[in-house]
Amino acid sequence: MTMRVAKRRISKRGVVIAAAAMIAIAGPAFAATTNLVETGSSLLYPLFNLWVPAYTQSHPDVRINTASTGSGTGIAQSIEGIAQFGASDAYLSDMQMKKNPGMLNIPVAISSQMINYNVPGLNDKNLKLDGPVIAGMYDGQVRYWDDAQIKALNPGLPLPHKEIVPIHRADGSGDTFMFSQFLSFSDKAWQTKTGYGTSVSWPSVPSAIGATGNPGMVTAMKNSPYSIAYVGVSFKSETDKAGFGEALLKNRAGNFVKLDEKTVPAAAAAMVPKTPKDERISMIFAPGANSYPIINYEYVIVKNKQASPETAKVMRDFLTWAVSEKGGNSMSYLKQVNFLPLPASARALTMKQIAEIQ
Amino acid sequence: MSTSTPAIAMPQERRTDAALYRRRRLVNLLGWTLFGLFFALLAFALLDIVGTVLERGWPALSLELFTQSTNGVSGGLLNAITGTFALTAGSLILAAPVGVFAGIYVSEYRSSPFARLIRYLSDVMVGVPSIVFGLFGYITMVTWLGWQFSMLAGCITLALMIIPYILRTTELALHGVAPELREAAYALGAGHATVVMKVILRSCFSRVLTGILLAMAISMGETAPLIYTVNWSNYVWDGHMTREPVGYLTYVIWSFINEPFDSAHALAYAAALLITVFVLVITMFARLSLSKLSSNQAH
Amino acid sequence: MRHAGGPFRIFVALFAAVIPLSIGALIAFLFYNAWPAIHFNGWRFLTESSWNLGNQYGDAVTVRGAEVMPGASFGILFLIVGTLASSLIALLLAVPIGLGAAVFLAEAVPARLRQPASMLVELLASVPSVVFGLWGYVVLIPFASKHVYPVLAKVLGFIPFFAPPTRDGYGLLTASIVLALMVVPLITANMREAIMTTPRALREAGLATGATRFEVMRHIVLPRLRLPLVGVSTLALGRALGETMAVLMVSGNAINILPHRIYSSISTMAAFMVSQLDSALQDPSGMAVNSITEIGLILLLISMLVNGVARLLVSRISTL
Repeated sequence: MTMRVAKRRISKRGVVIAAAAMIAIAGPAFAATTNLVETGSSLLYPLFNLWVPAYTQSHPDVRINTASTGSGTGIAQSIEGIAQFGASDAYLSDMQMKKNPGMLNIPVAISSQMINYNVPGLNDKNLKLDGPVIAGMYDGQVRYWDDAQIKALNPGLPLPHKEIVPIHRADGSGDTFMFSQFLSFSDKAWQTKTGYGTSVSWPSVPSAIGATGNPGMVTAMKNSPYSIAYVGVSFKSETDKAGFGEALLKNRAGNFVKLDEKTVPAAAAAMVPKTPKDERISMIFAPGANSYPIINYEYVIVKNKQASPETAKVMRDFLTWAVSEKGGNSMSYLKQVNFLPLPASARALTMKQIAEIQ
Repeated sequence: MSTSTPAIAMPQERRTDAALYRRRRLVNLLGWTLFGLFFALLAFALLDIVGTVLERGWPALSLELFTQSTNGVSGGLLNAITGTFALTAGSLILAAPVGVFAGIYVSEYRSSPFARLIRYLSDVMVGVPSIVFGLFGYITMVTWLGWQFSMLAGCITLALMIIPYILRTTELALHGVAPELREAAYALGAGHATVVMKVILRSCFSRVLTGILLAMAISMGETAPLIYTVNWSNYVWDGHMTREPVGYLTYVIWSFINEPFDSAHALAYAAALLITVFVLVITMFARLSLSKLSSNQAH
Repeated sequence: MRHAGGPFRIFVALFAAVIPLSIGALIAFLFYNAWPAIHFNGWRFLTESSWNLGNQYGDAVTVRGAEVMPGASFGILFLIVGTLASSLIALLLAVPIGLGAAVFLAEAVPARLRQPASMLVELLASVPSVVFGLWGYVVLIPFASKHVYPVLAKVLGFIPFFAPPTRDGYGLLTASIVLALMVVPLITANMREAIMTTPRALREAGLATGATRFEVMRHIVLPRLRLPLVGVSTLALGRALGETMAVLMVSGNAINILPHRIYSSISTMAAFMVSQLDSALQDPSGMAVNSITEIGLILLLISMLVNGVARLLVSRISTL
């Protein structure tokens, strides 16, 4: 089938090339197919790449192009109308909403983030860490693994006197957004000095390393003993393969929790009732005894007014499929990237937002 | 030349002792060995790069690679292969006439101040980093003109990059044409345009063509100018010059190597293999024919 | 002259005019788009290492007459240092190696083998930048960080700049090695050409004094080629300054940190533009994109300056 489609395209292309060599033409060439563009978050990209082939197989009249460009590009392109779907790990700020009131922030799944470390001898123990200590590692206050603050959280563990190598993302990233938000919400000093965003001004720590992309984080950690890093949960199979330690994090209730299939839904359950109608909310550092502190909604940023009612309908259909339990939110897709489905009450809000796409 | 006198004067001095002689032999030997090692190092680097790409890309080659488009992070590379060729062809269609005619101008009117300025600026333009062209393409064509990520924005950006290369090779080719040919053509009463286009350009046409081939190889291997002008597409380009992103091979290399799936890595290595082979074969072919052409001309 | 003017001349001159027009457009558009940033950043842009988009979720504030996010500041000293350091170290490696290989190719390789041998070196220049990056990522970094840098740190460790820790292999030295390999063909090709065109009479005169071929090379041929070498090296410097993809993939992409050691992570202006444009697009005030454009403008001006100087030094250079 692919062959046939390709052939048809090529013959059309021949005709169009001749005309197009002189003038640039815009507008859809085939009324039958709808071309949609998804661009943005590299965290959401693998999931979109599982969704789109499955969806377009049953909807051959829809073409959705996916690209991993980063959340910033996703947001900018959807605001400008270049991409219909702007994938983003972060919701739009108040100022962006004020400037572009027609934008919708539509959650499609729940993601989370691990704090991994590579400390030879301790990688099979789950070190206990909290926001202020991790903030200390990243701003140079906590320099060695046997620092008193780490010892206090992990009594009895043989912590080595080795310099901590904090690894951060050097490129703009939703992971940095989640991580720096966790530090900001749990540590006042971090909030005032560094704050949060998709790229922050990292305090200069001589041993720090900047890495590009999640694979860069994993590689850098492998190559640097005594390092610590934050890695998107989509890469859990890679961090497990490498045998890194995974920290237990202190949540808002004061308990140390491990990222698993109980703690992430617990955090989501705690935050979902607080989710406003436009669903712009941070789920970082959620209340609840069992809540894992670093989770977030993965958003698709969409303009409410589309070029044509037909396009809007195709988009609504796709998004509806994407968030339905039988469609894109089924575990057969989500498990591959370690995401979780939207809870029922969030799905209801999401459906209302999807209906606004016209 | 004053610096060279002492060393050369040495053997003529009276005390031609064996130690000095041995030392000179040793320095010579060390020098040649070192230079040979330098050469071997560079040759090894090239062979290792090509070897790595072959070793890792070869297992990823399959028929589907050439018949299917990228499906998420698996599938084939048909979209990227056709996209790379379309972008390259498009940039050449734009750049070749400009580069060749500008090269003719610079060569034919070489003593005029404007021609000298063009030649100088063209050499300067060769050195402008490709990402600067990419940023220029982004702020002008993609956003300001509203073409969005598109074939046209990519082709124009690439064309700007390679025009100076084509200009230069054309100029050199025209320089190489024997003056007698020109005199003979004028003697037959041909006008200037006819002489240049029909006689001179024709006689060195294959050299101009190899210059265009070299520019083609450069254009194919570029990434930075395309990321923010063409972006990426999973589908075979369907002919829109604007508002449609296009896939290309170099993107697959730098982007897919960062995905958490083995299938994505396989595609990245396959793309690296394809683009390296394309670029090196074209370059080698162009260089070999160029040196053959020069030796023919010498005879 | 018979062909003083006429429609043909105007016709080809119009095509030639594309060159100055493009350069003009490059400068004009980059300058126009960078202007708000130039105004807002002032000289701090060049003297501080403080790239910070500010609080993206706050409300915009007005600073120095411009609307920016709270806490935003843009200083790229670390990029300027990273760019210059990686390019200069690359030249330190590439010039002797390139020159040595050129001498070897011109003098020690039999004429029959000279062309294929030269091709081996010169083809390095055609390897796409992103393939260099991939090679650096999968071959050079693991190898160098395990087997080369620790030895280097041991041998030269008494110099603080070379002292351990050697870290993960992403950084200044790796970027410099990759850059050196990318620009070395330029040096080798041009110097080989220059050596081979040295008048034969000069060499024979040298040999007649009893000097060996190596001594002739060292004391007669090479000193004559000082100016071309400087010119070609300047050209190579221009290349290295603007290299993007390969550096992006091996440099470690440091932000706001000046390299303390040769193994430190760095970033360069060109690589930073690719890695940060995405984040910059998220800035609702637009100042981040303007500042990225300002980096582009500065990079453009630097590369034009360096290439302009190179071109003045040597009039005929093969650019490969």
